Amino acid sequence: MGLTKRYPLAWKRKLLVALDHLDLQVRPGEVFGLLGPNGSGKSTTLKLLLGLAVPTDGEARVFGLPPDSLEARQRVGFLPENPYFYAFLNGDETLRFYGKLCGVTGSKLEKRIEELIDLVGLQNGRERPLRSYSKGMLQRIGLAQALIHDPDLLFLDEPTAGVDPLGSAQIRDLILRLKKMGKTVVFSSHLLEQVQEVADRVAIFSLGKKVLEGSLDSLLAESQNTQINVSGELTAEQQEKARALLGQEIRFSRPHLSLEQLYLRTVQGLPDPTPAQNSRRS
Amino acid sequence: MIPSLFRIFVIGRNTLIEAVRQKVLSVLLIFGLILVGSSVYVSTIATPGLDAAGLFDEQIKFVKDFGCGAIELFGFAIALLSTAQLIPQELHNRTVYTILAKPVRRAEFLLGKFFGVILLLALAVMLMTLAFAASLYWQETVGFNYVRDIYDQHMPANWQNNPQMAAQYHHDIQDIVNKVQDPQLIKAILLLFAKMVMTAGIALLISTFATSSIFTIITTFMIYLIGHMEGMAREVWLARGAETSIWQSGLTGLISLLIPDLNSFTIVDEILAGNHVPWAHTLNLLGYAEVYLVVLLAVSIIIFDFREI
Repeated sequence: MGLTKRYPLAWKRKLLVALDHLDLQVRPGEVFGLLGPNGSGKSTTLKLLLGLAVPTDGEARVFGLPPDSLEARQRVGFLPENPYFYAFLNGDETLRFYGKLCGVTGSKLEKRIEELIDLVGLQNGRERPLRSYSKGMLQRIGLAQALIHDPDLLFLDEPTAGVDPLGSAQIRDLILRLKKMGKTVVFSSHLLEQVQEVADRVAIFSLGKKVLEGSLDSLLAESQNTQINVSGELTAEQQEKARALLGQEIRFSRPHLSLEQLYLRTVQGLPDPTPAQNSRRS
Repeated sequence: MIPSLFRIFVIGRNTLIEAVRQKVLSVLLIFGLILVGSSVYVSTIATPGLDAAGLFDEQIKFVKDFGCGAIELFGFAIALLSTAQLIPQELHNRTVYTILAKPVRRAEFLLGKFFGVILLLALAVMLMTLAFAASLYWQETVGFNYVRDIYDQHMPANWQNNPQMAAQYHHDIQDIVNKVQDPQLIKAILLLFAKMVMTAGIALLISTFATSSIFTIITTFMIYLIGHMEGMAREVWLARGAETSIWQSGLTGLISLLIPDLNSFTIVDEILAGNHVPWAHTLNLLGYAEVYLVVLLAVSIIIFDFREI
């Protein structure tokens, strides 16, 4: 409530208002998207909710607890923007390290690592040091470490930044799977189409202020219009009949795929270019 | 309490693994080991023509001076370089966010990182001490052969059958054993290690508010130098007695409080010179280092707690 963060700019003797009186409540089990241009306050909001920064004014609560309390952090997972992690550790070692920090040890930890490697699809990265990981693999190991202690709430800061469309789609699918598992997800993103596909509610930020908040259905519905989808192409005669039947102004157009849908359909439809498959085909 | 210690241990272990897998520190350690080991070779160059009994004493002292000097130099370099980059690297790579977003207190993070440096220093000192012990053992063997050669060449034949000469021979051999297997060397190594840990503590404190590793390295190095001169400065001022102004006394007091008295640790030179340094004095110095370190860590934790990350 009234969450505000100001950073002093010593050399200009001014204060930078990174976040200005934010009131926000996220409901259990929902996927909440934080939208806005760079520097609009999304990452600051996440830092304040994680207790990584101290608010100048206002108060943040996570599960009714101070966000920097160990009890709150035990229930929260975080994937920072452009995470680096420890490049000298391999995938398994990374998860083992973060798991132990959360108090997960022994066979329980090993079982959890197996589950998460499966969930994020990183079987080929278990023994490889993170310095050899691609951007998409880093994001996925980042997601796995955020989930290592099975948190109820996940904060993801630009989880698809710099990832190719396929990797980005995999992360989107993961968010949807997490939602099905009952997790609450709060994430920031610039990819509006992806936000639209996964988020239940969004808040739009600009210059440190929340300027819009609501469910996607309520924000995006054009209440003046009704959309009817018809299979197949209508002839001119059929279109005239429809107009006459409804007695309304009707515009007819062919729906388009988005470029992302076309790309994914094309790339995912291609055969797996592994030598075994290639030789079978030939 | 126990989960907290476990988290500190996990972070410390990870810091040690990082340092070991980093080639720079490994190379530094290898050079340290080579230098400590090479003291045997350098000592033979330094004292050519082994024809007088006293010269071998010089050789043993040279190996001790050279070995402990190398341990101190490389220990200092490892302590300074590894600690100076601890916090800036975590902030730059944003790995600190992933750790502090977990149920980990900032103090635990800082103590864990420092514990990792202590483990690294302990490992480095242990390996360099083994190399030092090996070079001393080698020097002992060379010494036995040297004494034997002297007796064979300069004493009458069958000198072994002469009880007086045999007793003198055993006395000379025992003299070498006493000088090489000097239990006081343990005190010297402990004091050098304490000095390294204090250096790392100073670097950690500076790195909690510094914005770059270079700043931390330069400032720590300056404090290290002042710490060695502090004792002398205090003695000069105290010797002037009534001439000392309030400002001078205040400044000396302030420096004594803020900067550790590293000059006291030059007692290691007395040990290497063969002079007896009592355990009580050694433990006093180790206690001083421990108290100073606790203060350094407490201040570091307070500063890091308030730092915007």
